Amino acid sequence: MSFFRKKRLFILLMGFIVLVVLIGFSMQKRGGLTTPEQFINDAVGWTQSVIQAPVKLISSLISNIDDIKNTYDENQLLKEKLAQYKSLIYEVQELKQENEELRKTIDKTKSIRDYNPIQAIVISRSPEQWMDKVTINKGKQDGVKENMAVITADGMVGKIKKASQFTSTVQLLTGFDQFNRISATIPRKDNKNIVGMIEEFDAESNSLLFRIIEESDKDIKKGEMVISSGMGGVFPSGLVIGTVKEVIPDQYGLTQTALVQPAANMYEIDNVIVVDRQLVEKKEKTEKEEDK
Amino acid sequence: MKRLYIPLILFLLLVLEGVALDFLPTTFFHAHLMVVPHWVLLFLICVAMFYERENVHIATFYAVLFGMLIDIVYTDVLGVYMFIYGVAVYIVRSLTKYLHANFYVAILFTILIVGIADTAIYIIYTVIGITDIQWDTYVIYRLSPSIIANIIFMCLLYPLVVKRLKVE
Repeated sequence: MSFFRKKRLFILLMGFIVLVVLIGFSMQKRGGLTTPEQFINDAVGWTQSVIQAPVKLISSLISNIDDIKNTYDENQLLKEKLAQYKSLIYEVQELKQENEELRKTIDKTKSIRDYNPIQAIVISRSPEQWMDKVTINKGKQDGVKENMAVITADGMVGKIKKASQFTSTVQLLTGFDQFNRISATIPRKDNKNIVGMIEEFDAESNSLLFRIIEESDKDIKKGEMVISSGMGGVFPSGLVIGTVKEVIPDQYGLTQTALVQPAANMYEIDNVIVVDRQLVEKKEKTEKEEDK
Repeated sequence: MKRLYIPLILFLLLVLEGVALDFLPTTFFHAHLMVVPHWVLLFLICVAMFYERENVHIATFYAVLFGMLIDIVYTDVLGVYMFIYGVAVYIVRSLTKYLHANFYVAILFTILIVGIADTAIYIIYTVIGITDIQWDTYVIYRLSPSIIANIIFMCLLYPLVVKRLKVE
């Protein structure tokens, strides 16, 4: 009997050692997923994309019933907005054309604003909610690479964390920590843009922390839009991140931090666009390395 | 034949865990409540209670295997679910000798094992810095809702699988 006890203890301790080794292996900064991991991810991802369609149908049916209640009010509001958009579209088109012409005259055709969109569908959300991860149905074969920004129609939702061949996982903004910074800006007239960094997601206030660098203009109003600046070298510029909710000084009173409400709803993501920035720096470096 | 069904059902549950959160109303998220579906673990509890024999460790083996799959697919931190699911199912296996295998014991196991497993996950994730929430916040916002949700799932699962799992 004591032999069996010892054997049991031995197995438990071996298991513990394996646990520590595996955690150590996965926490280190590794380039990408290993081949077996990619294979498993793709196999599960394929099954998920099969199952996802009927599940989405049922869950959208439930939310549709909710939506019908306030359809009338929404319709009124949308009609008003639509009229405004029409005039805006012409304006934007003119500006785009003008921009292109001006670019041609100075021989600068590429800009940090340009990107190739890759359409994708969310097929699952990690049941481990501390991870803040969703899986999408596009992978390396479709041109998805790690660290690309992921957006919805409303704004930025996250970035590609790991890419397999046919699926990839997205780190949502709600799971961003100090290793996933976004260089952001609040656009102003006359080159007086307010610049800073989205540092991390603060779960308590349910908002992103936008640290504004010292030289910038101090007066920020509630409701101003924060967009990505493209200066980090990874994300293109002009992606909407969110709106300013509150501005608080840091503990020394030298810099200011704005609490930013993400523009996109992190809990109902169906269709996303993976943003493939066209202008890539020659030296490939991630934002993480840059900040160190 | 039964031997083949068990991994198939486990795989299906693994896949379904990924879409489980779609069914929850978004008010849950806005209230910061976290519900973690441990469906694979619940089915393994049933397997350990009704299917497992004296000298084989099928349930424990599948717990390690599917724990690893959950780690790879859903968390990116390898080893955590694998180790915890393995130990948790082994506990069930050792305890079934002393308890009758019926519905109430299954519910008891659900509370006990989901509690132990999720707390262990919380401890390991705190140590490696994935989460930094306080213990009492964790108990209120994640542990208790998860246990309740998993009991509900066990109530649905139990009548479906028990007769089919029982060894003739």
